[in-house]
Amino acid sequence: MTIHASDLAAVMQPVSNARGLPNQFYTDPAVFEEEKKRVFFRNWAALGFISDAPGPGDAKPLTFLGQPLVMIRDKDGTLRVFQNICRHRGMILVDKAGKIERAIRCPYHSWCYELDGRLRTTPHVGGPGTNRHDAIKRDELGLFEVRSHTWLGMVFINLDGTAPAFEEYAATAIARYADFDRPLYKCGDEGTFTMEVKGNWKLAIENGAESYHLPWIHPGLNSYSRLEDHYHLDIGDPFCGQGTTVYNPMLTDGGRRFPAFSSQDPKWATGAEYPMFFPNVMIGLQNDHTYGFIVVPEGHDRSVEHVQIFYTDPKVAGEEWREMRETNARTWRSVFDEDIFVVEGMQRGRHASMFDGGKFSPVMDNPTHDFHAWIARQMTV
Amino acid sequence: MNRAELDANLIAAHEAGNKPRLVALYTQAADLAEADGDIDACCFYLTHAYVFALASGAAEAGALHVRLLAHGREE
Repeated sequence: MTIHASDLAAVMQPVSNARGLPNQFYTDPAVFEEEKKRVFFRNWAALGFISDAPGPGDAKPLTFLGQPLVMIRDKDGTLRVFQNICRHRGMILVDKAGKIERAIRCPYHSWCYELDGRLRTTPHVGGPGTNRHDAIKRDELGLFEVRSHTWLGMVFINLDGTAPAFEEYAATAIARYADFDRPLYKCGDEGTFTMEVKGNWKLAIENGAESYHLPWIHPGLNSYSRLEDHYHLDIGDPFCGQGTTVYNPMLTDGGRRFPAFSSQDPKWATGAEYPMFFPNVMIGLQNDHTYGFIVVPEGHDRSVEHVQIFYTDPKVAGEEWREMRETNARTWRSVFDEDIFVVEGMQRGRHASMFDGGKFSPVMDNPTHDFHAWIARQMTV
Repeated sequence: MNRAELDANLIAAHEAGNKPRLVALYTQAADLAEADGDIDACCFYLTHAYVFALASGAAEAGALHVRLLAHGREE
């Protein structure tokens, strides 16, 4: 499929004159196939969380846009992502999450790989009892490693290997959020949840990007996080999103709150930001906890949202914090649940033949427009 | 342990997924074959012991690798 820039010229107009992405970006499987290559494989996409493989030898298989992948942490603590296949016959290597003691053994012919992907042995490859052959060059037959990078508790991958280094790709946000780029702690299982949504993956990012909907979809926020306290994030590609000047950390009746990051810029004492990192993650940054909200497409009209909340101090894993952790997770879950009906409603709406992509508010929809224009630039030749 | 008992124990260990037991039993099988002068069979069993030692992180992996190397069967 070839999409020319002229096809999406209206999307790339300034926000006052622009239209949103056309319907087929939400309803056409062929466009979705093109998005896989141009939007996800060429850029740094969010795959999962560092807590998916927390300890040495931990491995977690994942299917991402049809790609069988496995996240593995080696004995030195380095996290890597590989294509989850044996170099011999393409057999799936790891079929369930768990700890690998020493080597990854293919369940088919028992070729074994080190946790860093090197091919360790090839049983009987030269005949029974002979594990070597001149044609089998082990240093050329390690696992296919996918470029990966961890940041703010998330694991990002560049599947086709062509993106700029992550530090360059995300430079402005890395600098802006340096105060949050420090050890983060999962602390219990309450803050780990997934939501299945009958909607195109972009709709979740578009919704999270703007604050316009907050008073209508999340009326519970009006009392302490008013629309007028919010601002657009204008930090350039590949980001958009929203911030608030009023962040009220959760307190118990006794006045206890989660421990905050130490030595942060004073602006984070009262503010919070929610950047969308293109293509597929929303990040929540508050001074006492953060979260990653990763949207994984399961097709052109289905997606799964994976959420992980992180805290600033491992002591929050303690039983004395459990009730607060549960309340915090429940609060975020209810906010995210409230968004599902608009994502699913917009997905159904995208079948309306007369819809022209939509008319943006030049004041309130800037982040959504930023995202659409970025998608348009990725998809056109 | 005779060969028939060894085979039966190997089958039971496979069914139980007992990797330490597999390492031990395949090593025994290799030792028997080596004593019989059958180096191909010895290395076949050593290979299986080595693979299960690698997969389970067993300390025996190093020594098994050395034996296979000595027979020119490993890298």
